[in-house]
Amino acid sequence: MRKLSGKILSSFFHEVGSLTHFFVLTIRTFFRTQGNSKAIMAHLSTVFSRSFSTVLFAGVFVGAILVLQFNLMLKNFDAQIYLGGLNTSALVREIGPLIISFLLAGKIGAFTAAELGTMRVTEQIDAIECLGMNPIQYLVVPRMISIIVGSQFLLILGLIIGILGAMGIASLFCGVNFLQFSSSIPRFTGIWTLASGFFKSLVYGIIVAGVACYKGYTASGGARGVGRAVTQAAAYICFYIVIANFLTSYFLDFIHEFFNLLWGVHTA
Amino acid sequence: MSIRFVNVSKSFGPRKILQNISFEILKGEILFILGKSGVGKSVTLKQIVGLMKPDEGDIYLDGAPISKLSLEELAVIRSQCGMVFQHPALLDSLNVFENVAFGLGTPQYMKTHPTLLSQEAKKSVVIDKLKRVHLTDSILERFPPEISHGMQKRTSIARTLAPEPSYILFDEPTTGLDPITTRAITDLIFELSRELKITSVVVSHDMACALSIADRILVLDQGEILALGTPEEMRKSKIPLIVDFLSETLFQEDEITQKEVK
Repeated sequence: MRKLSGKILSSFFHEVGSLTHFFVLTIRTFFRTQGNSKAIMAHLSTVFSRSFSTVLFAGVFVGAILVLQFNLMLKNFDAQIYLGGLNTSALVREIGPLIISFLLAGKIGAFTAAELGTMRVTEQIDAIECLGMNPIQYLVVPRMISIIVGSQFLLILGLIIGILGAMGIASLFCGVNFLQFSSSIPRFTGIWTLASGFFKSLVYGIIVAGVACYKGYTASGGARGVGRAVTQAAAYICFYIVIANFLTSYFLDFIHEFFNLLWGVHTA
Repeated sequence: MSIRFVNVSKSFGPRKILQNISFEILKGEILFILGKSGVGKSVTLKQIVGLMKPDEGDIYLDGAPISKLSLEELAVIRSQCGMVFQHPALLDSLNVFENVAFGLGTPQYMKTHPTLLSQEAKKSVVIDKLKRVHLTDSILERFPPEISHGMQKRTSIARTLAPEPSYILFDEPTTGLDPITTRAITDLIFELSRELKITSVVVSHDMACALSIADRILVLDQGEILALGTPEEMRKSKIPLIVDFLSETLFQEDEITQKEVK
């Protein structure tokens, strides 16, 4: 049993180490070669076209579900006046970045792992290398940068749609009109909440991009190997995001408390 | 000017693929590497361009030890040493023109050929290379999935030829092709070697093909060199594996002759 757990731990740390090395190599290549703006824009458009409709759809429903759940609790305390603020804070700080990153993992992460994995097993990556081009620069950098940047834009879109959806549901089913809903938002959702949401989204975006590219780039063993790479990419992304969620929440809470102590004011 | 293997060994886990092999590929020759599946033929090729590193020993290309070179130095070596893969390995997102011109846009190539930067100049090189592999410019705008497998193979050879390498490594260039295309590609390898003085290393299962165009044939078995010699020497060989390869070739030739008689 101890042997088995030791083996699992060692393979986990080996995986995280290889992933970090791959990520650092990609970032170093990006800064050394100044990226490739044309390819980055092309991949950014792929990220948007593949995720846009899903983000819209999910945004509306996530906002709607949250508002119904908060309403259920708040009406017991006759505190529906806080519905907009609590709902928006939860959406911006936690649920929005998480849902967007899970959607990105399914739509773009799996696609990227499959695309790079196929290129690996059909020797396209080897061919690029043999022709004197750096495959990290040519294939990985544009994909990684576009996923990270795209995740931020998709978060903005998802949040706007989520808040609008929540407003609609609050007004239709909870008896809280647009004005009442929006009036409590500034009380719970300030610069800190926004910064927290975008920081988490950035970390999740890095995880989606890094794991998807790494799994695809290192795929081996024909069609089966590509299938394995895609499955592992999707599973590992979710796994790492859950861990990152805990760590970033803890880190951000710590920083928040530190600033509160430093300035003696509470920031939303 | 040659490729030299010195005591090269390579293993994958407990499996020993190559065991202490040493041989030399001479400038301008066509060397065929034959052997059963899984004996390390492709591994041998990939080590020449640095896609894999030997566990022991080294490979010298024009005197430079491949496994000790940095990525930048390796890029210089790779510009002289093209490789045609088992799969056509064309980039699906690029059309035929962009695929063939790919090697003309690499930093290494642009350093040595500043005059070929214009699009027109690139186009003329691409058309010339396509003609060399008996393809026309009518497929320039087509994407790899829109052309046949044989055309994809030829396009990949044209892509390898574009940066004008001194060496070309062919990894099973005729696998999965019909006999006519196989013959055409075999002839093409011969033409390239004789007309452009390109050193060719061909990994293959096809003894008939090797006997018809090779200058020398190297037979690998169980990680070791079983035989290295001219086609004539191979024909006279009594080594069981080579005899098996030869009898299979003779059987195929007999079948073709009988069909022609009918």
